[in-house]
Amino acid sequence: MSLSDLAKPWAAMSYGFLDASAKRELRRKMVKAVAVPGCQMPYASREVPMARGWGTGGLQVSLTLINPKSVVKVIDQGADDSVNAASIRRFLARVSGAMTTTDTLTASLIQSRHRIPEEKLSDNQVLVLQVPNPEPLRPVQPNMSIARQMHADADYSRMWLQLYEQIVCSGRVMQGASYPSLVNGRHVMTPSPIPRWDVPKLHMAEHLTILSAGREKRLFAVPPFTRVEPLVFDDVPFQVEDHADLSCYRSGARGFFMNEIPQDDGTSQYELSDSEYGVKTIRDREGDPVRFGETWYKNGKFS
Amino acid sequence: MIAAIPAFTEDEAQANAAFEALLWALSRPGQIRTLPAPGESGLIAALIDRECKVFCADPLLMPAVLRTGAEIAEADRADHLFLGEMRDLSVLDQLRLGSDLYPDEGATVIARARLGEGQALRLKGPGIDGSMSLRVSGLPDGLWHKRADLIRYPMGFELILLDGDRLAALPRSTLVEVL
Repeated sequence: MSLSDLAKPWAAMSYGFLDASAKRELRRKMVKAVAVPGCQMPYASREVPMARGWGTGGLQVSLTLINPKSVVKVIDQGADDSVNAASIRRFLARVSGAMTTTDTLTASLIQSRHRIPEEKLSDNQVLVLQVPNPEPLRPVQPNMSIARQMHADADYSRMWLQLYEQIVCSGRVMQGASYPSLVNGRHVMTPSPIPRWDVPKLHMAEHLTILSAGREKRLFAVPPFTRVEPLVFDDVPFQVEDHADLSCYRSGARGFFMNEIPQDDGTSQYELSDSEYGVKTIRDREGDPVRFGETWYKNGKFS
Repeated sequence: MIAAIPAFTEDEAQANAAFEALLWALSRPGQIRTLPAPGESGLIAALIDRECKVFCADPLLMPAVLRTGAEIAEADRADHLFLGEMRDLSVLDQLRLGSDLYPDEGATVIARARLGEGQALRLKGPGIDGSMSLRVSGLPDGLWHKRADLIRYPMGFELILLDGDRLAALPRSTLVEVL
């Protein structure tokens, strides 16, 4: 073995921006995260050209998985065209040569902030969710060493107490986004701040979901066909947002998760949160040939 | 401003494709995936570097492992174990299984086996819709009972089986029933 055997040719930048050792660390942690679904695995979280808290965790996972044959979709609160999503998508394409798309059906790698697309994901797709706070126990236990011990002991009593308090004080569970969910009957995880509407989409899904928090330096995963059960009491069923009867003022689509747009006169209008599904609906109405995928919700009901 | 897309080098391509196969196989235990090249080289490229402690029972793999700069360790300290053809179960007694606090410290074991023939196994657990059957031969007797004895979920180890360029993986979350 000589020195030149060990050295690699000089390059201005590694493929996919991250250097090879950063990728190997992420790969090793992803292996463990998939093996213990819902359990938070610490990782180093390297610098990327974006501020922590803007999706650096998801970006590092995407940069590790990406290759020139990938087709990447990036969404931010359901929208493909928000500044954050557009910047991340352009960066991913620039450093990898991967193709980009806005169509959920043709994407192989979907990085998302706070939404899961309305069309069902299949087994050849990977969903990467950006996570601001990976610790579901933080509201009840700010000390993260103690929180880790609580996960080790599967001691989730305070989570139940928190939900009970909300029901007593407010008459219903007030937790909107990041609804705590029990994964594989063992670890409680936060599904990232996706609305309750999206939580059932993780349960026994066909696709692999990887959740990564860059600022907090932890990642966890939900493999396909894994139980993801929102914490509920037997007599207080889990309820998703009451959006089944709302229709989108732009596309006319009905029965999906909506963004509320307050109007000057005090009323509200609603538009589809999944922007690409709205675009498809409008193009379909105008007579363009459009391929719709099967949706998780049909007529506003999860099926 | 980047002038050109960074090159997707041969090393990078091999590591990326090997990991894609591994991630698929781990997410869907019992399903067999194809590696870009036969043997452990792809997995070594994808996973092993100076931060790893590697136990290597197969002398033919040693040069590839040494080239990564990984520390060569005994089985009880190693986080990745390349066992080659498994002859007996003694090495499993020394495995690192992690702790309830840090399950990620459990070891990753890579062994050679013949997939699609021999002992029938029924697999259940995350990644499997109902149950899945897998036939494996070329592993020592009693491996599956030993594995069940060792794993106290979430403590445990991952078992990756290689047959030429084919790969199957059994994460600790998978329940294995010997038929």
